[in-house]
Amino acid sequence: MKYFLVLYAFSLMFISCQTSSETKPLILDDYTWEDIQAGGQAQDMTMMMWKGDPKINVYMQEYIKPKLLKKHNINLTIVDGQGNYIVQMLMAELQADASTSEIDLMWINGETFYQLRQIDALFGPWTSELPNAYKIDFENPFIGKDFQQAIDGYEMPWGNVQMTLIYNHDKIKQPPQTRAELLSFVKEHPGKFTWDNHFTGLTFMKALLMDIAGGANVLKGEFNENLYAKYSDKLWVYLNQLKPYLWRQGEVFPENVAQMHQLFANGELLFTMSINDAEVDNKVEEGLFQKSSRAYVPEFGTIQNSHYLGISKLSEKKLTAMLVVNELISEENQLEKMKPSVWGDGTVLQVSKLDSVFQKKFNSIAQRNYAPPRKDIQQKALPELAPEYMIRLAEDFKKNLID
Amino acid sequence: MLSIKQITPWKTALFILMLLPMLLGLSYGLLYSFGVIGLLNTGFTTEHWSDVLLNFSFWKSLLFSFGIGLISVGISLLIALWMVVNWHRDLRRGKLSTLIYLPLAFPATVVGFFIFQSFSKAGFWSRFLYQIGIISDIEDFPSVVNDAYGIGIILASSFIITPFLSLILKGIFENEHVTKFQHIAKSLGASQRQVLMKITLPILLQKAKTSLLLFLIFVIGSYEIPLLLGRQNPKMITVAIVDKAQRFNLNDIPQAYAMAILYVLFLLFLFFGFQRLAKLKTKAYA
Repeated sequence: MKYFLVLYAFSLMFISCQTSSETKPLILDDYTWEDIQAGGQAQDMTMMMWKGDPKINVYMQEYIKPKLLKKHNINLTIVDGQGNYIVQMLMAELQADASTSEIDLMWINGETFYQLRQIDALFGPWTSELPNAYKIDFENPFIGKDFQQAIDGYEMPWGNVQMTLIYNHDKIKQPPQTRAELLSFVKEHPGKFTWDNHFTGLTFMKALLMDIAGGANVLKGEFNENLYAKYSDKLWVYLNQLKPYLWRQGEVFPENVAQMHQLFANGELLFTMSINDAEVDNKVEEGLFQKSSRAYVPEFGTIQNSHYLGISKLSEKKLTAMLVVNELISEENQLEKMKPSVWGDGTVLQVSKLDSVFQKKFNSIAQRNYAPPRKDIQQKALPELAPEYMIRLAEDFKKNLID
Repeated sequence: MLSIKQITPWKTALFILMLLPMLLGLSYGLLYSFGVIGLLNTGFTTEHWSDVLLNFSFWKSLLFSFGIGLISVGISLLIALWMVVNWHRDLRRGKLSTLIYLPLAFPATVVGFFIFQSFSKAGFWSRFLYQIGIISDIEDFPSVVNDAYGIGIILASSFIITPFLSLILKGIFENEHVTKFQHIAKSLGASQRQVLMKITLPILLQKAKTSLLLFLIFVIGSYEIPLLLGRQNPKMITVAIVDKAQRFNLNDIPQAYAMAILYVLFLLFLFFGFQRLAKLKTKAYA
């Protein structure tokens, strides 16, 4: 027993001691792009991303991966994981004082970026080193800022999407455009509307919050407790008016957007939502949604945001990761990604900066069949709010609506 | 035969291998919850613990889990007892035994999904009743999954543990020679009912009580099933802890650790409390 206690005490000391010993900090000032290319090529590299969409997977596995191998002899391994999973994993690595990271590159945005910066898990600044970076539309607030936070060179924009509501054109001729119309629609069709208990639902509630506040500019900038309290109170009043007429009387909300899509597909719901405006086309093509499905943006607007690529601080393949990112933002790969038949992800490039051939190509991309053109919904685009708004909404939604 | 001396180091090694990581994990959680370690913690604080202890929804989750566990084990016990008492011969071989043990092959996630597909409002039974005209709209099908009473969770848990429990009860039935005692009692003039109440059930329950407790702990600790079939309120304790740890606010992680430790304490209390109670009872009989 005595030995056991000693062993226990030692082990405890071992796990609770935290020394910061980042092995070899990479100082980019010492590197030219040629150095980065030379150091980065011919390596294996791991990227973590959400793998929930077959089309996105095909684009990455069958288009990007062979290209990287051919051009730079880089062997890209893609592993599944997103959002809080990435945060938990990098947090565990930092807490365990690991010398290297399991993941080199990751697909992130918004609150994940905020949390990764909070725990200082991202490498940076690095984005300005990339030759393709000058084509990125950093001036665009929907791209250059992530949830109202400055990117500061710690993540590279990769794609841009806008939230849409999806309905069935055969069943609904005139979808609701305003908060008042939504309320009366839901009252007329009880049990047929809801939103999910995850990012998509929160993004929808943020748009309502901005509408209540009287426009996107009111809540701009850093989190403001007073403004939040003032307008969120009104939001809960509105949502509680909706509640008795929601799916399952608003006592349950779908756990994620996939479940909501399922409920929409089998007719239990009249609406579903997506934070990617192109998703409706994908889902119709996959056969999940009927051909009469349409995406739209109501008058009160929906949030448009970008998604990004970050490099983990403990990665040993930072140069390789930078090389890969430079490829992912090339005009050729961005164009391919934007095709509705491939992924339908909006580009982050400023098209006017490209040569005339690519300008033409970008401007003549095949239109989507079930989603409105991007330039039409752009006018109703709302910027993301500071991450604390979402954290608070998630918490208060539970308190004020579910409990 | 190994002598005691030979066994002791093995025991110690096993003890260290099993207990040490567990204790370390708990200590880690404890230090984390008090703010001593952890990336975003700033030093010792009891704030997270008071947040959890004063949080009504935490206690609600714990009680809800306990209730779901009791009901699920209760239902499984009734079914398993009934099967073993009435069908103990058929359970040994043949189609019936295959059928009954079939659920053993299902992982929890699959069972959860299966129950969801069968019993949701747009599921199999709802559509079936709609087609034959018993309900006029699939919306009229009662809420069985994602419902306030955890009916879906109970269905799925019972589905999983009933075969295990019937296996155990069947084993006891055979090992304890219950049939012999039944015959003796009958030949001494006991009625069917007396045989059941005074012989069969007491023997089976007395021998199975620890297993029952373990099944209770198993249901309380299940995660996938309540995640899929439960709802956001009331929430099973396991789901509540993971939510706290993973959903959005990194400053809530110490609270998740505090909740996890309280949960472990609750189970230990359940386990050792029960053992003590059982011992006292045995003493009282003796």
